[in-house]
Amino acid sequence: MLWLLSLTLISTLWACTQEKQETEDVILLQDDLGRELTLESQPKRVLSLSSSMTEMLFAVLDTSAIIGRTQNDDYPTAALAKPVVNNYPVDYEQVLALKPDLIFTIEGITPLDVAARLEELGIPVYYQKYNTVEDIFTGLEDIGRIMGKEQQATQIADSLRQEVAQIARRHKGEQDPQQVLAITWTDPIYVYGQNTILTDKLRILGTENAVKEVFEQPYPALTREYILKLNPDVLLGGTPEKLEESFFGQYPELRKIKAYQNKRLYAPTDDLMARPGPRVVESLRELEGFLYP
Amino acid sequence: MRRGLYFLLALLLILVVLLLGLQVGSFDSDIATILNAFLHYDPDNTTHFAIMHLRLPRLLLALVVGAALAFCGYLMQAMVNNGLADPYLLGTASGASLGAVIVFFGFVEISLGGFYMPPVFALAGAFVVTLVVVMLGYRKRQLIPAQLLLAGIAISALVTSIVGLLTFLSDSEGKLKSVIFWSMGSFERASWALLPYPAVALLLALLLFVYYQKQLNILLLGEERAQALGVRVANTRWVILGTVSVVTGFAVATSGPIGFVGLIIPHVTRGVMGTTGRSNLLFCAFVGGLFMLLCDLLSRLIYPPAGLPIGIITSFFGVPFFVYLLFRKNYNFKD
Repeated sequence: MLWLLSLTLISTLWACTQEKQETEDVILLQDDLGRELTLESQPKRVLSLSSSMTEMLFAVLDTSAIIGRTQNDDYPTAALAKPVVNNYPVDYEQVLALKPDLIFTIEGITPLDVAARLEELGIPVYYQKYNTVEDIFTGLEDIGRIMGKEQQATQIADSLRQEVAQIARRHKGEQDPQQVLAITWTDPIYVYGQNTILTDKLRILGTENAVKEVFEQPYPALTREYILKLNPDVLLGGTPEKLEESFFGQYPELRKIKAYQNKRLYAPTDDLMARPGPRVVESLRELEGFLYP
Repeated sequence: MRRGLYFLLALLLILVVLLLGLQVGSFDSDIATILNAFLHYDPDNTTHFAIMHLRLPRLLLALVVGAALAFCGYLMQAMVNNGLADPYLLGTASGASLGAVIVFFGFVEISLGGFYMPPVFALAGAFVVTLVVVMLGYRKRQLIPAQLLLAGIAISALVTSIVGLLTFLSDSEGKLKSVIFWSMGSFERASWALLPYPAVALLLALLLFVYYQKQLNILLLGEERAQALGVRVANTRWVILGTVSVVTGFAVATSGPIGFVGLIIPHVTRGVMGTTGRSNLLFCAFVGGLFMLLCDLLSRLIYPPAGLPIGIITSFFGVPFFVYLLFRKNYNFKD
């Protein structure tokens, strides 16, 4: 995952020039996308460009090290006191004004060309990417290591791991796992695909993502027919009233699915579903409440 | 005789593509399953249900919308006497998009009294914008084609930028997806409840123009000669305008603004049937429907399950063909 190579480069330049010997402390990092970053010293002031990353940073770092938040960040409450940096489109001037040593973000929120522009402006960008719940925890540890807060990060990650393990134990070896479909949008119908972290959360809870096919996009668009064929036991995506209005009202054909027939329609909290962060345990508990009423 | 054969061919192809299209979907189904679904429909059989309630209305909607757009394109080109005209010149597409966007962005409840609002507002938007364009293209109780074209272009640009502004200010990725999906067209919303609106509008319009076909052809000779031959040009133009706005409005409201069909198919029609064929309008509708069915089938084969946005396919296959027509020596809009 993380290749933190604190290299003490004794640059001995023998070649044609007669420069003086220089001793430089350079920190070389490789982020989750395999991009290489060079830091001149350990970062002290950091900025997040995604709401979930803000939650990650607040879990590990001292509040004073975090110097801003995006317009959407509302958790934890301490984040609200920070100056706002628009992340779409990115407010480069505000970023420069805040002078972060390093920016953390996650794949899918910050486009690579934005990162390249920020690096041109002298601010390295570190991406994280999570496929599983465990990836979030290693992400916390990586942040700790980069920022010199290893102990605190490990502690938090381990206690979260224990809580997840406890939940997982309750649902180990569930017979005939429930098939769960989670929709993110109704027109067109977009769902959580197999390659999203939700699949891992559902696995921990002894259930399965009803979408088995792996699509290119993490959140593929599906047809009514496809959903009829999946015939999920549980549908996540809104209260029964809301789904009746915006989903089943518009697609009455889908009233045939088991989830509708058995009234297994639930509305998980948007932010807990959409933000992979330290509140993942809270998200698991919420889902557990829906899946095992 | 030759024209009759072309009609027969188009009809046959439509049937073949319909049969092919009925087989494509998430549930496995061959010809036998499809015949079974038609002859011995079993409401508890989900495959039967998918064939009859999802695939069939979708294909029929594609057929109707393709036919409607091609038909309206033919009328518009005849009315303004210009082969570059298409049904959206009156601002229908941008108006419909604005209507739909207003609902998607939450200015209106997404569903009122059990009715899903985006198509309703799209229809309203199409009519309002068309009305404005027509008012601008109208002088001394006469429609001035050139003025109408310019008004259409200007107002469309304005409305499109309003849509762009709303889209830019949008706060959610989901809403953006809705708008993008809408603006490229789709038949995924098709249902038996939705189908009658564009279908009835198209049928009535086709019947009306059985009567007006002759005037339409004379109109191609130019305003003065048409007048001299006893065609009430002003009157005919109003009939065309009314028909195009209603039929296009319903087509766009149900499926989004699908491009190029209304531009290209009329040229194909004239290429095959001659500039003033007696049954050109009907043939144009047939070919438009066939083309759209093919595009829908391709879109679902290339990118299952949801299918590529239909507008992308129509341009992808339509434009090269159009270029071919442009470079073919023996075809000319007014020959």
